[in-house]
Amino acid sequence: MQFTFSEEQRMMAQALRALLDDVCTGADLRQTLNSAQGGAQSPVSPSRWQRLSELGLPGALAPESVGGLGCVETDFVLLAEEAGRAALPEPLIEHAGVAVPLLLDVQAAATADAGGIASVLAQAAVGECCLVFASPGTSYVHGLDQCHWLLTADHDHSLRLLSRADFQIATQPGVDPLRMLAEARCAPNAGRALASDSIAATAWRQARWRAAVFAGAEALGVAQRLVDLAVVYANERKQFGKVIGSNQAIKHQLATVQIRIEFARPVVYAAAAGLAAWRTQGGNPESTARLESRVIHAKLAACDAADLAARTAIQVHGAMGYSWELDLQFYAKRAWALYAMHGDRNQLMRRLQELLFAGGLPLGTDRLFD
Amino acid sequence: MAIQLNYSESERALRAECRAWLEANVPVEPLPSFDTAEGFAAHREWEARLNSGGWSMVTWPREYGGRGLNLIEWLIFEEEYYRADAPGRVNQNGLFLFGPTLMEFGTAEQKARMLPRLAAGKDIWAQAWSEPQAGSDLAALKSSAVLDGDHYVIRGHKIWSSRAVFADWCFGMFRTDPTSERHKGLSYIVVPLDAPGIRVRGIPQLDGEPGFAEIFFDEVRVPVANRIGAEGQGWQIAMATAGFERGLMLRSPARFQRTAQRLVELYRQHSSVCDPALASTVAQCWMDAEAYALATYMTAARLIAGGTIGVEASLTKVFWSELDVAMHRAALSILGARAQLLRHAPAARDLGGWLEGFLFSLAGPIYAGTNEIQRNIIAERLLGMPR
Repeated sequence: MQFTFSEEQRMMAQALRALLDDVCTGADLRQTLNSAQGGAQSPVSPSRWQRLSELGLPGALAPESVGGLGCVETDFVLLAEEAGRAALPEPLIEHAGVAVPLLLDVQAAATADAGGIASVLAQAAVGECCLVFASPGTSYVHGLDQCHWLLTADHDHSLRLLSRADFQIATQPGVDPLRMLAEARCAPNAGRALASDSIAATAWRQARWRAAVFAGAEALGVAQRLVDLAVVYANERKQFGKVIGSNQAIKHQLATVQIRIEFARPVVYAAAAGLAAWRTQGGNPESTARLESRVIHAKLAACDAADLAARTAIQVHGAMGYSWELDLQFYAKRAWALYAMHGDRNQLMRRLQELLFAGGLPLGTDRLFD
Repeated sequence: MAIQLNYSESERALRAECRAWLEANVPVEPLPSFDTAEGFAAHREWEARLNSGGWSMVTWPREYGGRGLNLIEWLIFEEEYYRADAPGRVNQNGLFLFGPTLMEFGTAEQKARMLPRLAAGKDIWAQAWSEPQAGSDLAALKSSAVLDGDHYVIRGHKIWSSRAVFADWCFGMFRTDPTSERHKGLSYIVVPLDAPGIRVRGIPQLDGEPGFAEIFFDEVRVPVANRIGAEGQGWQIAMATAGFERGLMLRSPARFQRTAQRLVELYRQHSSVCDPALASTVAQCWMDAEAYALATYMTAARLIAGGTIGVEASLTKVFWSELDVAMHRAALSILGARAQLLRHAPAARDLGGWLEGFLFSLAGPIYAGTNEIQRNIIAERLLGMPR
């Protein structure tokens, strides 16, 4: 039993934080937003993507043999947290945390190099191309207009790789100004079929799990950033001759948010560890139910914490918090976007209830990890 | 070394050994409440039995009757303990609060004198901190201990002392410097509750049982050798004790995991008649109990790696105490009209003690420092907000 991150893991996260503190500040986000031509295209910065690629992050979860870093999910979860903290506009987490591992899973399960996966992977791992995904049942994808490849399903048990030329996009403006949502429209047999049936179903299930856990990690980062911003404001803003942060009404609200963050964090980390173990060992029906419930828990707990953080941070900022001018909005809106993405609350809660109440999930004080 | 969330061979062996002992030794019939004289005696006997099996305080060093287990192993023991529905720990204040304090601040003589008796349940300990005018504001305490030769003479009035009605000893904080104010001039002194000049008056709790008490000290003479640590060091020692209390050991996650499991089972039995909204409430409770367990594993791992416990003790205390109330409230909601029945009501035969548990859960956000005080601590010391 080992529930601590290694020094290397922390150092990698610190390196990403240092980079994002440099190239993904509030001012940078506004500049990126202005370059997006009034919402006509995704607000992304090629130079920032380049810097992320120099750290090797697009291939974080890819093996070194294809040019990746050979990391595991417990490494990546800290990186996703940093991306959330900075409200990173580029779809790094979807690309590196979900789409690339999805391709790898399919490649490992397929007998031949179906659809030329190897060459796509080689480019994706070093950030020369950007991959996004639309898992079965997903409506909206962000970064779709800027991506080179889309992984999608034309029915629930297939997995297809589409190049940018294979699909049209229909934009769906969303709450997060730094993430342009869109739907992909394509012919039923567009692109290349990579897998079908059980291989595709298993691969999609793992992709959904990774997407949920890493969205949860991003939400943790967003939530902490929101609390930090609210604390800074509450410690500066004076009313009635004293800083508003000295009032218990303010303190207790922020303490409550911090508690929700602290008790979401270990769940997200444990879910990431579960994904890593699954990748190497697989699982029986009980351990599968256990992992699925933890993935759901991670997403719900982290997104609930981020939602509460957004609500509280805006309230603490008063009228300023309701203004477009403050950077606060970027993080609050990311919290709301994450809440609805990669498994919304209703969907996840209903599935968790099935697992809990219809059996399948092992209960008992001795079953936390088994 | 990356995160690995699975048990080693030795951890599995410990679990098996512990399970086998508990299966052979846990009383079949639940013991009466330890807030009654009969129940207190039965629980004292249980402590002796646990100790004879070497399971009283598994994390203590072997020289004091423990097994020298680390905190992850302690969690495994606790998981088995609650899985077996073993009796509540009547000596919890002694085992989890006073014992660790004594190990950190006591002399060799004091440890040898007190720890083995504590571990065996021969001495049951109560905490004597709060006073009528010093509750959340503990530093306002006035009870004094005045040096007279090789004794202190104690005068004062302590209150809200859990299990003091039947306990043998108390550990308390007294003002040894009469000119001092607030956190200064306090000392940590232990007092036998049968000493001349002590009067203990039980205070009935919400459930009617005398679960806590007030203690009157009328010129009680206590040897100087009963002072733990240096004179005037009381506050520092007390804060260390408060860390243990709010922190890891007093409320082990298994306790709440067990309640959550029972709640899920209760919901399964009643789902056809329940308000559908209760499904989410129960699922949320189950998640929070899991989150508390995972957070404790992570903290335990950090402490094993050399970390210390600080402000996160306050985060923890708020979380488990609110979770406990929420779980019991949910159970009462599931039970509908029968929720109001006391355990001994004729129609209550299979109610499972949820009402009594609910009443007890309401104490959680109050004792060990109210949750309002904990939120102040979180805001001021973790988030850096002004006092």
